[in-house]
Amino acid sequence: MTASVENLVNQPYKYGFVTDIEVETIPKGLSEDVIRLISAKKEEPAFMLEFRLKAYRQWLKMKEPTWPHVDYPAINYQDITYYSAPKEQEKKKSLDDVDPALLETFDKLGIPLSEQKRLSNVAVDAVFDSVSVATTFRKDLAKVGVIFCSISEALHDYPDLVEKYLGSVVPINDNFFSALNAAVFSDGSFVYIPKGVKCPMELSTYFRINTEGAGQFERTLIIAEEGSQVSYLEGCTAPMFDTNQLHAAVVELVALDDADIKYSTVQNWFAGDENGNGGIYNFVTKRGLCAGKNSKISWTQVETGSAITWKYPSCVLVGDNSVGEFYSVALTNNLQQADTGTKMIHVGKNTRSTIISKGISAGRSQNSYRGLVRMGPKADGSRNYSQCDSMLIGSDAEANTFPYIQVQNNQTKVEHEASTSKIGEDQLFYFAQRGISVEDAVSMMISGFCQDVFNQLPMEFAVEADRLLSLKLEGSVG
Amino acid sequence: MTVEVNPEAVAPSSSAAQDRQAYLTHLLAQRPKPKGLEKIRESALSIVQERCLPSNRDENWRFTDLSGLYKTAFTAPTTASLTLEEIDAFILAEAPVRLVFVNGWFAPNLSAIDNLPTGLSVSTLADAGNLPELGQQPGMSEVFTALNTASFADVAVLRIAKNQVIEAPIHLLYLTTGDTPIITSPRGLVIAEANSAATLIEEYAAVKTASYFTNAVTEVGLGQNAQLHHYRIQRDAKAAFHIGMTSVSQDRDSRYALTSLSLGGQMSRHNPVVVPTAEQTDTTLNGLTLAVDQQVADTHSDLSFTGPHCTAQQLHKCIVDNRARAVFNGRVFVPKLAQQTNASQLSRNLLLSAKARVDTKPQLEIIADDVKCAHGATVSQLDDEEVFYLQSRGLDRNSACDLLVEGFAAEIIDQLPIAEQRQTLLNAVLSQIR
Repeated sequence: MTASVENLVNQPYKYGFVTDIEVETIPKGLSEDVIRLISAKKEEPAFMLEFRLKAYRQWLKMKEPTWPHVDYPAINYQDITYYSAPKEQEKKKSLDDVDPALLETFDKLGIPLSEQKRLSNVAVDAVFDSVSVATTFRKDLAKVGVIFCSISEALHDYPDLVEKYLGSVVPINDNFFSALNAAVFSDGSFVYIPKGVKCPMELSTYFRINTEGAGQFERTLIIAEEGSQVSYLEGCTAPMFDTNQLHAAVVELVALDDADIKYSTVQNWFAGDENGNGGIYNFVTKRGLCAGKNSKISWTQVETGSAITWKYPSCVLVGDNSVGEFYSVALTNNLQQADTGTKMIHVGKNTRSTIISKGISAGRSQNSYRGLVRMGPKADGSRNYSQCDSMLIGSDAEANTFPYIQVQNNQTKVEHEASTSKIGEDQLFYFAQRGISVEDAVSMMISGFCQDVFNQLPMEFAVEADRLLSLKLEGSVG
Repeated sequence: MTVEVNPEAVAPSSSAAQDRQAYLTHLLAQRPKPKGLEKIRESALSIVQERCLPSNRDENWRFTDLSGLYKTAFTAPTTASLTLEEIDAFILAEAPVRLVFVNGWFAPNLSAIDNLPTGLSVSTLADAGNLPELGQQPGMSEVFTALNTASFADVAVLRIAKNQVIEAPIHLLYLTTGDTPIITSPRGLVIAEANSAATLIEEYAAVKTASYFTNAVTEVGLGQNAQLHHYRIQRDAKAAFHIGMTSVSQDRDSRYALTSLSLGGQMSRHNPVVVPTAEQTDTTLNGLTLAVDQQVADTHSDLSFTGPHCTAQQLHKCIVDNRARAVFNGRVFVPKLAQQTNASQLSRNLLLSAKARVDTKPQLEIIADDVKCAHGATVSQLDDEEVFYLQSRGLDRNSACDLLVEGFAAEIIDQLPIAEQRQTLLNAVLSQIR
């Protein structure tokens, strides 16, 4: 029986194709000149170049962190292409002008961009290598005042907003990878929800790395003004190469008074083959600032891809009565490594946070939960509840938990629970007895295990995430 | 032997790492140098010199600031004599075997080792011989542990012979006394041979002194099916510094239960390191930390399994008041070989004032898949409803709070084997938080 459970995990990565498209890349390597070149190519305002150069100079002084529980050969930062974009003849006016090869790529990925086939009620910003190629439903969104565009467009059209908020949540010198991102980021999404507006549809960004040897550095900035509400989803895939690729993104969320941001991620970067060759190094900094009273930021993530994941979507709860949530499913298989979790920094009064983390490790993978809950001296009446459960499939998988709890206030309550278990023979037997095959039983138990998190995902994606997980695990249980 | 050192001379205003190096050189100069055990001392010395002293940039010392320690120029321990009257408060009638060490040296006039029960043998550095068992337990390369190995003046060796059960608790008392701030390095070694059982009360305290640095190490080796109940009571002076290692290895089927109380010291740290080296062992680690005023009390436990079918339970409680700070880091490591491990860990913390602070990190690292491991952590204050309930029964607010804290502390203190000592310690805890 055990052998068949093991076999269940190993499914081919179906997004591993390469799109043959003419791209414009700049030579490998990083220097002030490269940064000036990127900035010039994107025709950015002057403050942006300042921002990038400042970040680059900070980055030179910083050291790559060694504390995560992951293992990888040293990255040569001079061997990465920092800018790669599909070549385009002229500025596209509508989707019809977009290169058909690109549209086809996104079609293949299940993200139809063309007008007639669009996902109903989901606006998509598609980012291919370093640049945004298309954003759907922009007109409809503009009617209610919502700005949804790529960050390069935002830099041209709304420089004041970008200047005000960029780097306000994740300062440029926050950490090694965020500084690198600040220096070289090429594109990403920008969302602005005006006062009192409830965004009429789901917003979504789809990231695709295509060029071998290119790093992807995208930057997402979401601003929710007073009383507004938005739900945002990102998805990611990459082709299969046997070299590692670096993905160092930064996501910043700002929620003002009574605003509500829900940010969901389904991450399915190429994870490398079963011997750990290739795959994406996913070193991401995500942070939300609940700046206003009664604001709320909720992170939901389904992490299934990447050779290495290093990611801690965090909430800084500054506004009184603000709420932070973190729901995560992290699945690692083969030689994947994940060190992921969250940080909940309680600053304001009566702030509340919930952490639900489910880790599944199979094969010879390492899956670590690392979380921080900090109750500041002024966070009277604040509360946190954390639960992190791990499931081990196979005797070579590793599951670790590193919860840091720091409390400096006696008017608060912090609770943390963690458990580790495996799929028991007796559970499988019970299913078998009811005529359910091992594979189905395992997939049912896993979706049960992850239920709390999937319930938080927008409907369409919950179904997809569930399917993704069972696909990923196919062949690993028994 | 006393060396006068000007504090300014120890801490020059150059870089922090150089300061620590200078401080280490100073500490090493304070070593008493008794004869014997040269080999193990030399290898420990080279570890200390290679690693140097930690700062809060080291992950293991992130939350505990050692700069206060590094600012105090401790002098070499001096032999001192106390009388039985002076230590009367520490004598336990129910523990007939008593070993007392003063400033690190064995004090035969205070000890009671004349009528040893069958199966128990006791020795110190003078009559212990080569001691091949010394320094064999895990965690010996930790820098303060190695510093102790390089520096200890005397050693308490307790050996429980095969198949022997020692009924009455053995009392191991480390006292510090004197007018100058000294560094002492108490060292203990407990060997419980196969199928033996014993109870050990290890206690650290001060007599007529305020500021000193205790750098203690206790090694415990449990043979097959051996059993040890170990009570470690740290009630050093409030101005003292205490860093202690309890290093334990467990052979097949052995049972080890540690109850550790940490009450004294402006900065205290306890590192219980337990390695079950074979299968079917059982380990219990319980602890109570009380930190008041400006105290910083740190516990870093490490339990690393190596074989299958082991069980472990850990409960660590902290009571923190005023501006004090408590730190707990509990690591449980379950490698692939340790299938069928059943381990649970709970860190419970009670904050009694607005400025009190707790940093806790229960840490599970699991590679085996057929295991049952859980951990939990809570941080909270006294529940208003509970206080209200007691008030509604006619208690005033203060007595109600005291009763609740007493209940919180008693869960650990009640495990102590001697009733008289339980009461003394509970009173000590309550008097601190009032």
